[in-house]
Amino acid sequence: MTTQIKEEFQFPKTYSFPPFFTPQPNSNTRHSQLQKWSSLIQSYCRHYKLYRLNLIDAIETPLFHNAALKKRVSLPEAREILEFMVGDGRAEWVDSGKGVVWIWWRRPEEWAGLLVDWVESTGQKNVVLTVYELVDGEDSVSQEWHGMDTDVMMKSLNVLVKRGKAQVFGNEGQEGVKFF
Amino acid sequence: MFFKPLDLTTALRPSLLLDETLLFVQDAVGLYEGKYKIPNYQDGHAYLTSHRVCYVAVEEPRKHSVAIDLKDIDRAEYQARFLKSSPKITLYPKPRKDIKRSGSRSTGASPSRSPPPTFLSTRSQSPLAPTSAPQLKSSASTLVNATWICPICSFSNPVPSNFDPSSAPAASLVPPCLACGIKPPFTTVLKAAINAAASREGTATNTVIPDYGNGGLSQKSGTSNILPLYPAGSLSCPRCTFVNHPSLIECEICGASLGNSTPLPASHENDYRSESPAPVFEQGSIRNTEVTECVKLSFRGSGEKIFHERLRGALIQRKWLLHNAPPAPQQPSQSSGLPNLAVPGSTNGSPAPARSPAPGIAGLEQRGLEARRNNEVVIGNAFEDLEALMASAKQIVALAETLARESGMADEGSAETSAVLSESAAALGMVTTKDMLGSGAESLYLSELARNLAEYLTDDRKGVLQKEGGIMSLIDLWAIFNRSRNGVELVSPSDFQRAAELWEKLKLPVRLRRFKSGLLVVQRYDWSDEQTVRQFQDWLSELRQTPPSEPVPWDWRTFGRAITAQETAQRFKWSVGVASEELEMAEDRGILCREEGIEGLKFWGNYITLDPNSGDINSGISNIVI
Repeated sequence: MTTQIKEEFQFPKTYSFPPFFTPQPNSNTRHSQLQKWSSLIQSYCRHYKLYRLNLIDAIETPLFHNAALKKRVSLPEAREILEFMVGDGRAEWVDSGKGVVWIWWRRPEEWAGLLVDWVESTGQKNVVLTVYELVDGEDSVSQEWHGMDTDVMMKSLNVLVKRGKAQVFGNEGQEGVKFF
Repeated sequence: MFFKPLDLTTALRPSLLLDETLLFVQDAVGLYEGKYKIPNYQDGHAYLTSHRVCYVAVEEPRKHSVAIDLKDIDRAEYQARFLKSSPKITLYPKPRKDIKRSGSRSTGASPSRSPPPTFLSTRSQSPLAPTSAPQLKSSASTLVNATWICPICSFSNPVPSNFDPSSAPAASLVPPCLACGIKPPFTTVLKAAINAAASREGTATNTVIPDYGNGGLSQKSGTSNILPLYPAGSLSCPRCTFVNHPSLIECEICGASLGNSTPLPASHENDYRSESPAPVFEQGSIRNTEVTECVKLSFRGSGEKIFHERLRGALIQRKWLLHNAPPAPQQPSQSSGLPNLAVPGSTNGSPAPARSPAPGIAGLEQRGLEARRNNEVVIGNAFEDLEALMASAKQIVALAETLARESGMADEGSAETSAVLSESAAALGMVTTKDMLGSGAESLYLSELARNLAEYLTDDRKGVLQKEGGIMSLIDLWAIFNRSRNGVELVSPSDFQRAAELWEKLKLPVRLRRFKSGLLVVQRYDWSDEQTVRQFQDWLSELRQTPPSEPVPWDWRTFGRAITAQETAQRFKWSVGVASEELEMAEDRGILCREEGIEGLKFWGNYITLDPNSGDINSGISNIVI
């Protein structure tokens, strides 16, 4: 799922604050709590290049389980945090069962912008590229989206298609794309 | 008889002297001196104690409160309701031993003098206003109806009511002749006044003095013993005794002014109680002033009968005499009797009550027997009748406490409450009970109970509130308070709550507070949430300074440590319920946040809202609070 294990993720200080793992009744406090969780999840996923989280699995990861404090986020609480992120446009449920979620540490629109910039700077306008090339090709190794989840790439490309800046063709699994 | 200054308690009730007990309270009472209302003393509470009659006005009670010692009161008379005149109780002073009719008093500015109406119109002042007199000098016996003859036109003019021969600048007050307008020489008026005063001395008691300053109604009701002298309502001239028609102002024959029934201009009364007929004194403070005539308490509400009854009882009992009296004669062994109560004795066989210093076990047994006999006598005396019980209440309380202590009733757990209980003996004389109050006066009962409670709470000797860290739940207070009443005249919970709700309205130094959960607590009036929050913040920053006893996985320099309700209760001497409510209040304000875990609920400084890296929590929190 991840590319390579880099150095450990540096959790923010709040992560070692015990009340952080308890849902706060005060609405103001609750709001900042959710915001802090949102940014923690985003930076965590960015660090490990995670694009989707399986909730059941993620509960056991250090993200939601602070072993030092012996504190963990319960499943309903984690779901609530993710619902907050969905409302914020920083996450999206993959299925209606709400078991797996996209984490948009970059939204598809932001990815699309990055792709267009890259295509323009490398002079690949009007060139047909395969999606595989974009994600796993040698040219894109230095780019952030290298090794990206194909579904996320397709979502980002669809944004460009809607804007009329790209065209996607081909069958499932062998799509090609042409940037204008 | 003097109006004495009155000390008020924090709850604005009279603070009682040693051995003084409260007998009765009545609200909606007005104060009169002689026939005249005393301004600012027209709506207040009358407190009857075993030593005094106290009056506390509703408005500005600290300024307008006086007391009259019962020992100065000769007798009290009851006067029933008559038409619009409220029922009254008149207190007559004992005659002073050094009776000297000083000139200034006898001819002082009595409002009840009889200036003719023509003279009235020349003066802008109220005829009832004493001009500069520091003392109240209203007295029927000082009425003067003098005239002076104008040396120019020989018209007989009345001497002005405020004419005072003894005061030097009086010459300036002498008005000109009503007929020719020439000012008379001062001596003429002075002579006339002295003559009139001298001639009055003999006839003062049986002559009907026309009383201009008195309205029609109060004249009828107030001086009812005079009425029979007027057949068919006609007025006899005080100078020539001609019987005039009652509607005349001046005598038909000699022109002297008659105390006629022309009502006073209404403007004099509007300020106070317009429907009441009695006139009003214009007087600032009546403290420390002497009462020469009598004082009336006007009961606009009700309760006059019970007040009168108990006042008479108190006058007969003369408790004030006991103030410095030696204690009631006691059994010889009384002084050493109480501590001996626990000595068990099975001595049926020692017949002699005489104190023979017997040695050894026999002596101990004898002493035990004596002690028990003594207790028997004390209890027997006490229950002989209720009066005796009241008198020996203190002894009985002391006895009951000793018995309780020795029977092991006070176990360690309730040591604190029993301490409060035993101290409550001091409060025995202070409680307001329902039968101390006028009939049907539910609101009065509640307000008195509220004041009672406020006193109980703020009493430094007991320090009930201080012991509980300045805040305690209403239920706890109810329990302690009712226990302090020793099982009699208990207060019902609903009365208690309603009385507590009155605190704010009565501006008492305690207040009732409702927490979010509905818990009702009692705290000092000036205590606010901000102060509690500040206490919490100080504590939290203290915790960030002190390293925890065992290593913790978080950065204690930043986050400090969690606090629980128990710890908080201990630190601030609150009850746990109050502590958790206060913590939740602080959480509500965003000062604290919670941690739920297997160890229970803990509270932390709110580092979720605040950036823990940005240092000072206090500055951040104060921003939030604002």
